[in-house]
Amino acid sequence: MSSLLNISPVFGSILVVLLPFLAFLVQTLLGKRGKSGNISLIAILLSTILSFGFVFLEIWNQNPISSNYAWFSIGTKTFNIGILLNNLTVLMQLIVCIIALPVHIYSKSYMKGDPGIHRYWMYLSLFCFAMLGLTTSNNLLMMYIFWELVGFASYLLIGFWFTKESAVQANKKAFIINRIGDLGFLLGIASVYSIYGSLNLVELFGEDGLIHHLAPASEGWMTFAGICFFLGAMAKSAQFPLHVWLPDAMEGPTAVSSLIHAATMVAAGVFLLSSVFPLFNETVLLIITIIGCITALIAAYFALAQRDIKRILAFSTISQLGFMIVAIGIGAWDAAMFHLATHAFFKCLLFLAAGAVIHEMVHLKDANHLDIDPQDINNMGGLRKWMPKTFILMLIASLALAGFPLTSGFLSKDAILISAFEWGVHHGAAYLLIPLTLTIVSILTAFYIGRLIFKVFFGEFRLKAEKIHIHEASLNMLGPMTFLAVCSFFFVFSWNPLAYHHAFILGGFDLNYSYSELHSLHIILPIVLTLGSVIAWSLGWNWYVKEKYPLNGNNKWLELSLNQGYLNELYQKLFVNSSLGLSRGLYWFDKNIIDGLVNLLGSITRGLGQLSAWVDTYLVDGLVNTIGGTTYYIGHLLRWVQNGRLQNYLGFAFTVVLIGIIYLILK
Amino acid sequence: MITLTHFLVVSACLFCIGLYAVLAKRNAIMILVGIEFIINAAILNLVAFGRYDKINYGGQIFALFAIVLAAAAVAVGLAIILNVYRKYNTINPENITDLRD
Repeated sequence: MSSLLNISPVFGSILVVLLPFLAFLVQTLLGKRGKSGNISLIAILLSTILSFGFVFLEIWNQNPISSNYAWFSIGTKTFNIGILLNNLTVLMQLIVCIIALPVHIYSKSYMKGDPGIHRYWMYLSLFCFAMLGLTTSNNLLMMYIFWELVGFASYLLIGFWFTKESAVQANKKAFIINRIGDLGFLLGIASVYSIYGSLNLVELFGEDGLIHHLAPASEGWMTFAGICFFLGAMAKSAQFPLHVWLPDAMEGPTAVSSLIHAATMVAAGVFLLSSVFPLFNETVLLIITIIGCITALIAAYFALAQRDIKRILAFSTISQLGFMIVAIGIGAWDAAMFHLATHAFFKCLLFLAAGAVIHEMVHLKDANHLDIDPQDINNMGGLRKWMPKTFILMLIASLALAGFPLTSGFLSKDAILISAFEWGVHHGAAYLLIPLTLTIVSILTAFYIGRLIFKVFFGEFRLKAEKIHIHEASLNMLGPMTFLAVCSFFFVFSWNPLAYHHAFILGGFDLNYSYSELHSLHIILPIVLTLGSVIAWSLGWNWYVKEKYPLNGNNKWLELSLNQGYLNELYQKLFVNSSLGLSRGLYWFDKNIIDGLVNLLGSITRGLGQLSAWVDTYLVDGLVNTIGGTTYYIGHLLRWVQNGRLQNYLGFAFTVVLIGIIYLILK
Repeated sequence: MITLTHFLVVSACLFCIGLYAVLAKRNAIMILVGIEFIINAAILNLVAFGRYDKINYGGQIFALFAIVLAAAAVAVGLAIILNVYRKYNTINPENITDLRD
């Protein structure tokens, strides 16, 4: 028994990755019989146990382990597949497992009765396999493969209800935009390979990795490589201006949105940047910071006026990802990973709770035959009465997102903001804009999530329906949500509710910042943020619950926010239409010029052919036919002699005799 | 006086008439008749030339012999015509062309 439990971390980690893959294969083979999803559930459960017990506990704060297996050789270079286990990867793998498990349980009742549920489990397992593989890859090539696979699984799941036109458009959009990022990632890999000649993360970034020894290539090259990697992360982590796919990705099932498009896959970009962090030089880091900051700001702004509950959450995800990206840009990637971890829990919970609400709204819509959008928060209100547990759970998650004390979000957000301020102070005046913007963004965050809570759960129910049958979500859904809610409190991450320094995740990475610590900030900033959030919530309470809404609903700024800054329209005009125009032009060129040339050649050949056919028919065949015809005619002339009539024969015979006689006479 | 030449002329006429009948008639019986004409022309010649053999009367004997043969030939010919008629339902030689290729 003891030998059974003695699983080495590497083997355990491989099992963690392969179990969902096995589940995926089994679900694929089962086809429509695999409706229960038990196989996927068991696989992810085992993965979670293995990941926690045999990988995380073994590796965390221990020496990193890397294991290689030669895969293929090109020339003298051998490419490996392998597992890298260090603090970063095991933490990420554990987060993915722990988030995926509740989502699986939740899905069992959320997706119940869906006609395509067997596909759902299949895709979900595929995603888990790819995501878990991505986290523990020890080289960039392998990581890229899994990176593509998660993108593909995400594509499949966004378009899960593929009969809906909007879902099809959304998954196409997600796929195309992610291609841009993938191209960046690939170029990044190529650049790194050409500079250092290796793709292995340990060889590159390890304790005595190439990056510390080899004289750096030219600054331009390094900047290019860094920007390429960041481009990959931008698309996957929905950073401005490539964020447009994420709000549309909400067309997928809510459970999927919570797992893939809130907690894990979109954080893969942050994970990637953390993995290759030593690669970035000052310029790239500054670009990363600025982009992250812009993303955080505009996404928070767009979230303000959205009406769709899931889109609010989607923009909130984008905004929080912006926070993480900023944290990476300022060098505090440990803080980014910390925020990634805390965000995964509360954002997943927010989505699952929203899913529960949507579930009930859909039932209400079907029961009353209403023509409403079940996700529109303007149709909800006062749901607290019917769904108290969901309300409390969602409230906890919202408080965590808004960064109220005692929650996990408070710690991680402070970690990022305080580091950002220290960074800003260290670099000087203009750089302070970044932390200031982030402060405003976190207050905006508090406001929009407050708005969501108030509009959905407080006030009066806004729909005029006869039969209001809204009730609490089932136990299968509440259980996972409760677990996530517990994980949204501070004690999961640190024993100290007020200072982030004691968080075990930050301790695990033990990063030295290039800028000094400012002690006063650690006291002032949390107070300012909390006060700001409280003010934002009380403002929201006044506006939405007491209905003293001061603004005109058709305000230009609100319109801009609701329409996501018209970015989609801009992209449509700029890229989609111009691509279509270009392809139309190319089509014309193809049809008229290329095809025209080919057709011209064709008709010339045909003309030649016709000429030679004429020669053949009339000259060559003509000669032969003339000879043949002549022979035939001569034969025909003689043929009538042999006509079978006795008298004629006799006549001929007589004629010949006569001729003979005449000849004899004349001789 | 009737000379050898007169006989030969009559014989030649008979032969020609017979030949014409054989070549041109559209009735097998008439062809048979034509053949008889030719045979008789030949017999007439035999008899006419027979005057140069007054010892043995070879010509006349041969003529008798030929008449008998002609009678037999006619009998055979008629039998053939009868069979032809049975087979083809006609005795017009124009219509009987089975000999051709």
